[in-house]
Amino acid sequence: MKISLNWVGDFVDISDLSAERIAELLSLHTAEVEGIETVGDAIADVVVAQVVSCDPHPDADKLSVTSVEYGAAEPAQVVCGASNVRKGLKIAFAPVKACLPGDFKIKKAKLRGVTSCGMICSERELELSEEHAGILELPDDAVVGTRLVDHLGLSDSVLDLDNKSLTHRPDLWGHYGFARELAAILNRELIPLPVLEAWPEGSTDLAIELADTQGCPAYFGLAVDLQDGPKAAPALIQERLLAIGQRPVNDLVDLTNYVLQEIGQPTHAFDLDKLSSSDIVVRLAKQGESLTTLDDENRELDARDLVIADKSAAIALAGVMGGAATEVGDSTTRILLESAVFHPVRTRRTSQRTALRSEASMRFEKSLDPNLAEQALRRFAYLLLNARPDARLHGAPASAGLAVAPETILALCPERTARLLGMDLSVSDVAQSLERLGFQVEPQGRLLSVQVPTWRSTKDVTTEVDLIEEVGRLQGYDQIQATPIQAPIVAPPRDPRRQLEHRLTQRLAGVHHCFESQSYSFLDDVWLERLSLPLSDFVVLDNPISDSMRLVRRDPVPSLLEQAHANLRERPSGQLFEFAKGYEPAVDGAAPIERRWLCVVAWAPVQKNESPLQSLFAHSRSMVEDVMATAGLSPHFEPADSVLAWAHPRLHMAARAHRGPEAARLGSFAALHPHLADDLGFDGYQVVVSLLDMSAIYEASKSAKPSFRSPSRLPGIKVDVALALPASLSYAEVEIEVRRAGGKLLDSLELFDLFEGGTLEPGQRSLAFRAVLRAPDRTLVEKDEQKFIKKVTQAAERLGGSLRG
Amino acid sequence: MLERLEELRHEGLTAVEASNSEDELREIEVRLLGRKGALTDLLKSLGTLPKEDRPAAGQAANRVKQEIAAQIEVARGKLHAFNLATDLAGDGLDATLPGPKPPAGGLHPLGQIARELEDVFQSMGFRIADGPEVELEDNNFDALNIPADHPARESHDTIWVTPEGDGRGKGKGVCMRTHTSCVQIRALREHGAPLRVVAPGRVFRQETPDPTHDHTFHQMEGLVVDKGVGVHHLLHAMNTLLEGVFGRKVETRLRPGFFPFVEPGFELDARCPFCKTGCRVCKQSTWIELMPGGMIHPNVLRACDIDPDVYSGYAFGLGLSRMVMLRYGIDDIRWLLSGDLRFLEQFRA
Repeated sequence: MKISLNWVGDFVDISDLSAERIAELLSLHTAEVEGIETVGDAIADVVVAQVVSCDPHPDADKLSVTSVEYGAAEPAQVVCGASNVRKGLKIAFAPVKACLPGDFKIKKAKLRGVTSCGMICSERELELSEEHAGILELPDDAVVGTRLVDHLGLSDSVLDLDNKSLTHRPDLWGHYGFARELAAILNRELIPLPVLEAWPEGSTDLAIELADTQGCPAYFGLAVDLQDGPKAAPALIQERLLAIGQRPVNDLVDLTNYVLQEIGQPTHAFDLDKLSSSDIVVRLAKQGESLTTLDDENRELDARDLVIADKSAAIALAGVMGGAATEVGDSTTRILLESAVFHPVRTRRTSQRTALRSEASMRFEKSLDPNLAEQALRRFAYLLLNARPDARLHGAPASAGLAVAPETILALCPERTARLLGMDLSVSDVAQSLERLGFQVEPQGRLLSVQVPTWRSTKDVTTEVDLIEEVGRLQGYDQIQATPIQAPIVAPPRDPRRQLEHRLTQRLAGVHHCFESQSYSFLDDVWLERLSLPLSDFVVLDNPISDSMRLVRRDPVPSLLEQAHANLRERPSGQLFEFAKGYEPAVDGAAPIERRWLCVVAWAPVQKNESPLQSLFAHSRSMVEDVMATAGLSPHFEPADSVLAWAHPRLHMAARAHRGPEAARLGSFAALHPHLADDLGFDGYQVVVSLLDMSAIYEASKSAKPSFRSPSRLPGIKVDVALALPASLSYAEVEIEVRRAGGKLLDSLELFDLFEGGTLEPGQRSLAFRAVLRAPDRTLVEKDEQKFIKKVTQAAERLGGSLRG
Repeated sequence: MLERLEELRHEGLTAVEASNSEDELREIEVRLLGRKGALTDLLKSLGTLPKEDRPAAGQAANRVKQEIAAQIEVARGKLHAFNLATDLAGDGLDATLPGPKPPAGGLHPLGQIARELEDVFQSMGFRIADGPEVELEDNNFDALNIPADHPARESHDTIWVTPEGDGRGKGKGVCMRTHTSCVQIRALREHGAPLRVVAPGRVFRQETPDPTHDHTFHQMEGLVVDKGVGVHHLLHAMNTLLEGVFGRKVETRLRPGFFPFVEPGFELDARCPFCKTGCRVCKQSTWIELMPGGMIHPNVLRACDIDPDVYSGYAFGLGLSRMVMLRYGIDDIRWLLSGDLRFLEQFRA
């Protein structure tokens, strides 16, 4: 929203204040000013010049080669294509290096072989109007070398307001509203809006019918005759519109725009002669009805859209845009000027359905003051009659319905006001702040009875706290002294889940060299299909941002795999982890079920002849074990029973809180299935995904008690044993037997080597263990070691293998 | 015998004198003093001497052996000192060589800033609350005093799970939460008043991503409800918080701002940390819009069964994504959720 300070100055004296100061006042008291433009800045480089010679271009029929005097030592040679260029003409000239609107920089150029240094401008090029038939002709008395903006007298500052900070303020969608704010902030007089006070005697044959009084509670139609057709609007009107970026068209259109920008009420001028009747009806669109709007788009209407219609057809989309068929044109001499009250939400819906957000719909959807409907006609009539002596009104406007603003009287407690704002305020401070903004205040015992003005009562100010805000912002929030709250000191309860996650985060990043990541919650069907995940398992969005973000993640596996894949080119190995929420669809339309996950994705190039003890999968297991240990858990690992399509059929382990089928499942880790790895673009890489259920880990960790085992003071003995065993036996199966052989004396056991081939028989592999034996009460002797080796040997033989020494 | 001894003594001392490497010394040691060395041989041949001459000859031979051994040690010491001096002065030691890259992990800047702020708030007596990212319409809108026909509910702002019609617009829908403010409702309903809570988390909007906007971003909601809470308390809490984040006092100001769930509502601006007279970051204004906030609307308190005549409170929303971008000078919000290691590697902590 753009606000011209010259225009605001019509209604409040701000001549002593700089644009910067006004912008600051509005930002601090009313709404956010995003920028200040000085009118004419975009054409500041353009100067008044004169064509001193003009000859046809030797090589082009339509071009002229001119010499332009513009105040520099030497005249410039300029090639110009306009038909109205001629010797002696005063022109608007942009010399080389000048900048024109749209950041268009003028450079030296060659046109059909002739050098051109600068540009002679049209009105459109200067954004002064749409005029582009020829170059702008300046009067003969224009002084060569002066800046065009000075010649035109363009000196205004325009504030750019953030529309988002105005959505709740229907009164701020026109200049008068800002004048009212500034008058209140500065405590200065607000000059009333000049309007036509009394309608002329006479009657009109217009008849208005409201078929939907919810959609349109009130409608006014003013008939105006003009002797001549539309003309150019008065210079001041044009200048003001230009200043805020509106291109002048003709006086009838310009005046409706002017009134809209001034008081915020949209009006619309129909060419009365193009209507098929003088009966107007405001009704719902009919099934299948269409309307060509002013922008020449033919629009299919919805039966929920409200239209203005004559006897035969819709002539306007209510509150949004007029129809092309009844548009004011050069030959128009009779107009119907519409000003109405339209339902805010319904106007917005229609504007959305038709994807047409107009200056009018933007305002109607804010719940405008109903009193403005007739006020706008009076203002229009006042301006038109001043500008056009040939204009004639037939009398008061025809009308239907009632334009009634809600009457809101609120009780306000001045003491509560001061307390909530944390300001030192007297009753009169409170009352005066409100009065300056147009509220009427009556004392009523310890309270104030406050009547809300109609321009604020439609939706903005409806409760006591709304009044408190008015007082606060008018007094100025800079008056508030920051003060610590006084309350008993109570240590806030800690969230143990969060604390656990923080500990694991530190551990993963610090010890396991993982990078904490964040990935998007929305997933692509295609990627999920490649991962062989059934799409029906996912929560579906009704209006996704795009088709590739249609589903909500259940866990971070797919999105972290995507991130891993995107990293391959620059980082052939890495580890990403994320703590994330996942959602699963619930039955019967209940809210989706939430789960909290920790996911780690690790990737690295495939290594030839890599020991399984050094593989990424083995490292991932160590990491999962360590994460669990950090949570106080020592879980039981077993081959995962669930068949995950993306997981390797064998390299997939699940962790349970303890041994046994009833033990809670804490999570699992798996290598990516080799087939899938290729499809996903991971060929040549090993990828391991760990997915841990944080709720289950947290629950299990609650029963884990911190414990300590006193280190033994007695020496232990290290015993290395290597066993040749059938390769079909899993490590887990062997480990149980070796541990059993160690019995109570076994202090620790570690697998330190693993190999196949060599001197081993085919189908066998060697497992080398390092055991530490220790007793709590005596020093072990060689006999103990031999006993252990004997038992291990027997175990190996039971398993179909032998001791290798 | 004695001549031979003197010969060997002379030979040994001369050789030691002339030697200038460990290898040479070692060679002399072996040649003279070793198991098969000349001096050892000589000692072995003592038996051939007459009995009465043996002690004196033995003593003389041992003296010579000790003398040579001592001289070798002296020469060794000198040699060692010389070698060390040569090494220290030499080119062999390049202190400028790079080390091997340590294996590294890192913490996401969004996580870091959230954890830091949680610490600041906990020290101020706030508890940390959490809420779902897929939220009920009632918590996201209705209870927050956002009317049924408010534009924010519409599809161009909110990402819905529930299809249109299906109870949506009447508080019965389900959507991706559009702000962390819904955790206000959950926390107030769960714990009642008085209460101090912050809630970090991700939120979602219908937004076409560009360098400063993403459809997914991070916020931290804060709320205090107690008896007699006023705007001056809000201002104090915000100032304390910013001091915690930036490590120094930050000049702030409140401006009017509109949010349906607070009244009065504010925007809190902080003095631009990057300039004194206006720059690109502050859009030449010297102020940076940092966080919206306000006094909790009585309708919100009522929706949570808290009597607004007894309690009042303030709420604020911190843009975590924005804070992170400001702190590190990150030029594009889309880095944050990219998972790109080249981005993540820059945040060790």
